[in-house]
Amino acid sequence: MPLSEKSNEEISKLLAEFGIKHGPIVDSTRKLYEKKLEKAMETAPVKPSSDKTFYREEEEEITYITYRSPIKQEGHAEAVKRRFHNELDGNRESDHVAEPPIQFANRTANHSVAHKPIRKSGGSMWKVVRLLLLLAVLAAALYYAYIYLINNAENPFGIQ
Amino acid sequence: MSTTSQKHRDFVGEPMGDKPVTSLSGIGETLGKKLEEQGFDKASVVLGQFLLLKKDTELFTEWLKDASGANSRQARSCAQCLKEWCDAFL
Repeated sequence: MPLSEKSNEEISKLLAEFGIKHGPIVDSTRKLYEKKLEKAMETAPVKPSSDKTFYREEEEEITYITYRSPIKQEGHAEAVKRRFHNELDGNRESDHVAEPPIQFANRTANHSVAHKPIRKSGGSMWKVVRLLLLLAVLAAALYYAYIYLINNAENPFGIQ
Repeated sequence: MSTTSQKHRDFVGEPMGDKPVTSLSGIGETLGKKLEEQGFDKASVVLGQFLLLKKDTELFTEWLKDASGANSRQARSCAQCLKEWCDAFL
């Protein structure tokens, strides 16, 4: 079911599950929260509410999420920017000011919403165990083949 | 603070009453018109949205950029302005 069809309550519940702080979900705020949820779901498709540890062998990379306080950064960036722009345009709006540093700060902000990464060290443990099992089977097969050959060589006439 | 604009100080210095949306720092003619089209015709209505978002400047900034097409600097300027107004008068 797409987000736009969910009820306000369901949206609220989802936001809580993804650890996104939010106010009331009303017509004027809903669109914003839907966007936030979409982003959060992209980065973290598994719901963080369950306590199970998932083992996945396909994805080995671990994503470390750094929790920063983007407000402080932005505040600093803003202060710097303001110093530049204050003289120039004061209060007038200038729609075409590009702001790469602030965009970056926003991105880190979005990451802070994502939940803690799934532990995947168990996945590599399984790999090692499987490898050992495979080796054991191989060794057993070789051993039997060897015994068979030895028996045949020792008493080739035993049967007769 | 020396880094705030005159418009910011003017807004933060007194109750907003029925001031137009363009009295908010960061909101000029163009953005003001876009906001008015969506029903945000007074600064106090924008304050209402700010309060609904729990005075979270980050959320508010995001909303304002979406709703009015403001750039980051304008949106943050407006958020800062409302935040300080709240600190003083709420």
